[in-house]
Amino acid sequence: MRAPSGRDIAAGEVLLAVENVSLAFGGVKAISDVSFDIRRGEIRAIIGPNGAGKTSLLNVINGFYHPQQGRITFKGRPRSAMRPYEAALGGIARTFQNVALFKGMTALDNIMAGRALKMRRGFFWQLLWIGPALAEEIEQRRRVEEIIDFLKIQHVRKIQVGKLPYGLQKRVELGRALAMEPDLLLLDEPMAGMNLEEKEDMSRFILDVNAYYGTTIALIEHDMGVVMDLSDRVLVLDHGVKIADGVPAEVQSNQAVIDAYLGLSH
Amino acid sequence: MLGPVLETLIGGLMTGVLYSLVALGFVLIFKASGVFNFAQGAMVLFAALSFARLSEAMPLVLAFVLSVLIMIALAYAIEFLVLRRLVNQEGIILFMATLGIAYFLEGFGQSIWGSDIYKIGLGLPTNPIFILESVFPGGLLIDPAELIAAIICAVMVLVLAVFFQVTRVGRALRAVADDHQAAQSVGIPLNRIWLMVWAVSGLVALVAGMMWGAKLGVQFSLSLIALKALPVLILGGLTSIPGAIVGGLIIGAGEKLAEVLLAPVLVRTFDLAGGGIENWFAYVLALVFLLVRPQGLFGERIIERV
Amino acid sequence: MRVNNLPANGGKGLAARGTGRGEGRIAVATEAVRADTFPKLLIRNARLFAGRPAYRHKDLGIWQVWTWAQVLDEVRAFSVGLQELGLARNDKVAIIGSNRPRLYWTMCAAQALGGVPVPIYADSVAEEMAYILDHAEVTIAVVEDQEQVDKLLSIVERLPRLALIVYDEPRGLRDYDHQRLKWIDDVQKLGRDRLSDGAAGLQRWEAAVAAGKGEDLAVMLYTSGTTGRPKGVMLTFDNLIVSAINGNRFDSLGPDEEVVAYLPLAWVGDHVFSYAQPFTAGFCVNCPESPETVSEDRREIGTTYAFAPPRIYENLITLTMVRMEDAGRFKRHMFRYFLAVARRWGEKILNREKVPLHARLLYWFGERLVYGPLKNRLGVSRIRLAYTAGEAIGPEIFRFWRALGVNLKQLYGQTEASVYITAQPDGEIYADTVGRPNIGVDIKIDDNGEVLFKSPGVFAGYYKDPEKTAETKTSDGWVHTGDAGLIDAKSGHLKIIDRAKDVGRLNDGSLLAPKYIENKLKFYPNIREAVVYGDKRDFVCAMLNIDLTAVGNWAERNNIVYGSYQELAGHAQVCDMLAEHVEEVNRSLADEGMAGAQIRRFLVLHKELDADDGEITRTQKVRRGFVAQRYAPLIAALYGGAREADISTEVTFEDGRKGMLSARVKIRDVQTMPMPVMEKAA
Repeated sequence: MRAPSGRDIAAGEVLLAVENVSLAFGGVKAISDVSFDIRRGEIRAIIGPNGAGKTSLLNVINGFYHPQQGRITFKGRPRSAMRPYEAALGGIARTFQNVALFKGMTALDNIMAGRALKMRRGFFWQLLWIGPALAEEIEQRRRVEEIIDFLKIQHVRKIQVGKLPYGLQKRVELGRALAMEPDLLLLDEPMAGMNLEEKEDMSRFILDVNAYYGTTIALIEHDMGVVMDLSDRVLVLDHGVKIADGVPAEVQSNQAVIDAYLGLSH
Repeated sequence: MLGPVLETLIGGLMTGVLYSLVALGFVLIFKASGVFNFAQGAMVLFAALSFARLSEAMPLVLAFVLSVLIMIALAYAIEFLVLRRLVNQEGIILFMATLGIAYFLEGFGQSIWGSDIYKIGLGLPTNPIFILESVFPGGLLIDPAELIAAIICAVMVLVLAVFFQVTRVGRALRAVADDHQAAQSVGIPLNRIWLMVWAVSGLVALVAGMMWGAKLGVQFSLSLIALKALPVLILGGLTSIPGAIVGGLIIGAGEKLAEVLLAPVLVRTFDLAGGGIENWFAYVLALVFLLVRPQGLFGERIIERV
Repeated sequence: MRVNNLPANGGKGLAARGTGRGEGRIAVATEAVRADTFPKLLIRNARLFAGRPAYRHKDLGIWQVWTWAQVLDEVRAFSVGLQELGLARNDKVAIIGSNRPRLYWTMCAAQALGGVPVPIYADSVAEEMAYILDHAEVTIAVVEDQEQVDKLLSIVERLPRLALIVYDEPRGLRDYDHQRLKWIDDVQKLGRDRLSDGAAGLQRWEAAVAAGKGEDLAVMLYTSGTTGRPKGVMLTFDNLIVSAINGNRFDSLGPDEEVVAYLPLAWVGDHVFSYAQPFTAGFCVNCPESPETVSEDRREIGTTYAFAPPRIYENLITLTMVRMEDAGRFKRHMFRYFLAVARRWGEKILNREKVPLHARLLYWFGERLVYGPLKNRLGVSRIRLAYTAGEAIGPEIFRFWRALGVNLKQLYGQTEASVYITAQPDGEIYADTVGRPNIGVDIKIDDNGEVLFKSPGVFAGYYKDPEKTAETKTSDGWVHTGDAGLIDAKSGHLKIIDRAKDVGRLNDGSLLAPKYIENKLKFYPNIREAVVYGDKRDFVCAMLNIDLTAVGNWAERNNIVYGSYQELAGHAQVCDMLAEHVEEVNRSLADEGMAGAQIRRFLVLHKELDADDGEITRTQKVRRGFVAQRYAPLIAALYGGAREADISTEVTFEDGRKGMLSARVKIRDVQTMPMPVMEKAA
């Protein structure tokens, strides 16, 4: 299923580097001194048992949380604490573990909302909704339609997402993230709660996104089979500490991982 | 019989449009930030006071522009000083904060603008118009000032509704209303949206204040029309713009009709005094509605999928 | 441009703009005789209907339109490109994908060069495709997208003849090895370059088109059949074009129709409906955005003519019903009320029968409040004519649609007939018949009850299978349908009663269609399941299952106490009731000329036939032979004349345990109608 096989990720350009990051809530340490990098074009998996700090790590990258220690370099530039809005502006898109869609809006409007940053015309034109603003809206709509076509969700375009089945909601959420044309796409358990068929579809979409748009993807996933199939490299966390990092085969045979994670789930 | 009833109905509808406008201010802020803005009434008063006093010293247009700027500045101050500090707090905390803003504005407004009753002279025609004279003997009487006020309000309501339905800012606003976190993650700046919403509802308050002020004079009791907006919100749903419009019309028309049709019945059959129906009818209607359809006429049905 | 078969002045007068409906149709009828292949028809249409829409496709949310002139341009470019790539006369071109304009155009592009399109079901797995591709000796495959390309690449080693794969949708295919893989656009570009490079290219192509003749092979459609390998049904241009024109005439189809193409390309129904008929009549084919958006697309287009297997009509109803369950109480009541009104009066109104004024008024309100919005929702508001074909439709479903005012009709056809055998003319609609022979079709019923037909659409043969061809097609041109039928005495319509191979004979020679009788029995709510025997026996017997819900209700109303299914099934009064039903069935059999197949004796089984016990299939079809074996003592008793019989069978309980169930079952004799005196079929 992997598209161009044998690509050399390790040699690629570092898109995001996380160095010695620690995050604590009150006295509870969520992440302790974690370092890793994400290279341009790869699919990077972050795995670990429940409470390992995976989502916290995603939230740190995305700007929802601000780490107490450590340094994050994105596109070669070190960033200080930044807000999610700025992360989005910088090219980081994400989906959420429990689907955070705009439930009262249609699938189309949800994805259009993902283009918020791509719109250039100002407030005044928007108010009038004519001329350049309209032309821009049409152009944006075309881009969105391409994503809709890509994800095969034409049939739900005009349906309120709150009414859609869970699997489709996840797909719309992916579409919204794609609409941002991100450099880095963070997926928080994209396949949670899906049946086998939906999982296969989603895997296919993730691979296609990576191959077709060239988007770098970091994903958290529980399904080990999926992780091993999809990802180029895997980072393993346990209780907020990094215990392994490498290509799937390496990680799979790592004793610490087997003890902490695989051992538990089998 | 039909003639007077129709006349009452038209009058009621025109008052209703004004209710709609006030309710709209609530809806906008509630939709965008989940805050029930108790200060909406105080904002109406504050805006009307500003306009009334400014218009004494300068042409109407200039007074209006200045008032708009004042309301925007107010929105900015509220966002910067209060809301920004209370992000992610419980709804009740935010509600309390707006309660504080309400009392502050009422007092502060009187501190700078004075506490007398002020007139707003918009120069609207006052000679009553009669319509449908061929159908009803004597025709139906319509107050042109009220008519113009109603038209202005209607246009305003329409523009806002369209704005929030079709433009990208409207889409962003709806997105923020639905899910803060997700909105942030796609790069919608929360603070800017809130600022905008407060500014727009300040503008709505200004227009409402001008219309009511022109009708009743600008005085402290103006802030109480916020209370009239409550039944409208219950009827229309807290999150629905069309709900606010239809709710306002129903309440406006309903209470006037009740005064004309229900009062005589109460007097005749129950030997009651029959007065003051206008004061409580809206609330009773809202209560009945709460029992039958708690989400309001157009309120979103809560959709949960597990 | 000139094509040999067309007169030099090529119907100039008719080509004048403002082709009104009638005018256009006359033009079609006269010209089509001369344009005897689809490429020739395309050239004619490009002239006759130049600026009118021919194909639409919804892409990225917008309907893209191609006029007939544009379609000619596209097809020609593609065709010349294929010519450059070596497509020769009689080469087979596989077409795999969903309903996209360019896949339809591929058919015409191939046919222009004398190539033969072979559409294949897009959802087939690679294995099935491999068989057909190999059997048909396919040299070029034109497919929709990456999914199909991947499938073909997985089997390409086993297909030495397959020289080229062409795809429509380039997504994901950029990095593939393009040695034997090409994008349609690139092939078209090749063709356009050739065409713009002097007049020779165009002349060569036009000569190829002109060389095509009506009796040439037009298409090969593989039919799966119930058993064995798929067979390649060969249809000629004459088959398809004459059948399509006759079909157009039968239902007055003209250039103003709008159809939505959404059925598999490999199904003959779609081939005629979305290719042969639009090419002959000049109407527009609309390709949906995706399989899931068909309803919405249909609504946007306003389909006037539809063609679908019963399953589709059934699904739409189910969908509606499910949605109504979610609706508010008021809406639901209104829906139910007006649905009842429609059931009572709708069909009568549609058939222009006499209907009381108040019924008309109610129906009018219903149309405004329920049927209209519902039809709009389903995208059938503008529908003038809808056919159900492919298999038998449930009478309930059939009536539902007609009650709503949709002119749904039955059609009986086959791949081997280029679809049309019989169809119901407007105003002669019966739920249990499939209508009269279409224009140009003769039918007859042979001694075994099998329906045979003869028509201009009769297929040329099965590809590389003369044996099977000879089995199906007699030397004088009659084709065995494999279906048993009879001509309904009242309406003169054909009635399909069973598969011919399931039809048996009693010892006295009378015909027995067991499924037909079983369906008649099952029509009664009290009868859940019925198994009929009689082949090679003296008379007909039946074993019945009661329907626990229906009979249970009846028992409650009549104060009949029962402890178990077995007890209720054995109750004397229940038996009496069922005996009445059986007698009614006998009466109707006698009325229909099947007096010999009347049920003489029956019994009520002590247990329900169960899929867990292997007595019925998971799709609820009775396994007649197996049941006969399992209940051999009962069969023996039925034919032995006993009044009752003992039976004990192993049963599987719901939790998987097995146990024995024994019972004494009573056998009933039933009254039969007298046989008509000596009425002999030819």
